[in-house]
Amino acid sequence: MALLIEARDLTKKYGAHVALDRANLKIEAGRIVGLIGPNGAGKTTALRAILGLTSYEGQLTVLGREPLRQRTSLMQDACFIADVAVLPAWLRVDQAIDFVAAVHPRFRRDRATGFLAKTQILGHRRMRELSKGMKTQVHLALTMAIDAKLFVLDEPTLGLDILARRTFYDALVNDYMDETRTILITTHQVEEVENLLTDLIFIDKGRIVLDSSLEDVATRFVAVAVAADRLDAGRAAKPFYERQILGKSELYFENADREKLAPFGELRTPSVADLFVAKLSGGAA
Amino acid sequence: MNTNMWLIRREFWENRAIWLLPAVFGAMLIVAALFGHVQLPALTSPNEIHTFGAAFLVAFGLMFYTVMSVYATWYLLDCLYADRKDRSILFWKSLPISDTDTVISKLIVALIVIPVVSFVAADITALLAAFIVSIRLRASIGSTLWQPDVWLQMQVLWIYTVFTAAIWYLPVAGWLMLVSAWAKRAVILWSFLPPLVLYIIERWFLGTNVVGRVISRRLTGLPAVALNTSGGKSWHVDGDTLTLPSSVFHFINPSGFFASPQVWIGAAVGVALIIAAIQLRMRRSEI
Repeated sequence: MALLIEARDLTKKYGAHVALDRANLKIEAGRIVGLIGPNGAGKTTALRAILGLTSYEGQLTVLGREPLRQRTSLMQDACFIADVAVLPAWLRVDQAIDFVAAVHPRFRRDRATGFLAKTQILGHRRMRELSKGMKTQVHLALTMAIDAKLFVLDEPTLGLDILARRTFYDALVNDYMDETRTILITTHQVEEVENLLTDLIFIDKGRIVLDSSLEDVATRFVAVAVAADRLDAGRAAKPFYERQILGKSELYFENADREKLAPFGELRTPSVADLFVAKLSGGAA
Repeated sequence: MNTNMWLIRREFWENRAIWLLPAVFGAMLIVAALFGHVQLPALTSPNEIHTFGAAFLVAFGLMFYTVMSVYATWYLLDCLYADRKDRSILFWKSLPISDTDTVISKLIVALIVIPVVSFVAADITALLAAFIVSIRLRASIGSTLWQPDVWLQMQVLWIYTVFTAAIWYLPVAGWLMLVSAWAKRAVILWSFLPPLVLYIIERWFLGTNVVGRVISRRLTGLPAVALNTSGGKSWHVDGDTLTLPSSVFHFINPSGFFASPQVWIGAAVGVALIIAAIQLRMRRSEI
């Protein structure tokens, strides 16, 4: 598989604060990758570096280019929505379409207008007159009409109500996604994107703590609900995380032999959200 | 080229004051011409008539140019700051447009587009005002306000002014854009604070005034460099009588302008500041 994004020892410091600490990343074409981490973990910094919006140390190649120096050509093949609230207040919907159509060689105007025709949004409206949900739809219409190889979304639904969020992801799945595209999405709303993703990257304190496809997650990780009387035996098998639910202890294992764990209790594959909490509080990476 | 045209168009969308401000200012002057007190002096000598007609137009040109220069200063300070403040830079940077093109388009708007708009607005307003005044005073067409040769000569002066001012004020524009690309807040303060601090330090510790002189000469020195201000052919005041040169070509001084080292040193500093602004624009996305 062709590598779309490759980062080696990607580091970004703001003064004494290290936002990215020798992060290594490999993202293949055709995947839908969730970059997931708590606030301040370095998600946005990583995306800014990938999109050529900030300087960095280390090696980074995106679509065969060096992002910071070749942002202009990179943006012909990549597009991004960095938060939905960034369309300028003074811009009119029809102006936005005219402008992107004029400057972007891969923009397909009919796709954008077709998408907007399904909404209540009129062309002469200025962004300041639109609700946040409507602005999202305009931004999506503009971005999804671009035939890009890489689509990056940074906290795309931040500040949206549940209805607007659902519209957003439905449009993404139904109107956009196909096997030729790669989507990189950051969020801390893990549940929202769980069903969408093919790959997971967890980031914490500037370091990558997990980089795995979802299929691998299912074989690599297992959670066992252990009754109190077998807890010591379970703990002896070296779980990397433990939590209490409904009077039982749930132990999380990585690369463990499922047959040996079976006697302790019921096995299940942890959800992305569970795994996220386990990985980040467990510490052991 | 196409992209650059759209970038300039974009500036008109965002900064409607580029045309609204001269429209409103022109409308005010028209209202004054319609309802204010108007009077034309009784002039007999050809020289007096010529001078009055030219002074009438220069007054309009100067008024619009002054108002629009103040606006252009504000525009330059805001142009690389506003979209960082409201984060819309993240939208603009998602498009395949280089930071160089973006910065240059804004520079062209400030140094070429806004001055051209101001002189066009000045011409239109002067034409309307001359028409209104002529009717109100029942003055004949062909009087002092209607001298086609003077009108044409003024267009030469406007074009010359736009061109020389764009080069002369390059370092000023470069500095304002650098502040605009750099500052996290208070762009106005940052625009004059560093030069002011330099000036004060120099005065206190060295007792000299190089910084102050360089800055004030840059801000006010364009007429002295670009225009003929000496010699019998140029303008002069004799008692109560102002005499303007008989031809604009005696007034402008392109050879002197382009021979001046001040012009070229300033342009070089300007280019360096603009390159720095582009570099900052590449690296700074948000505040």
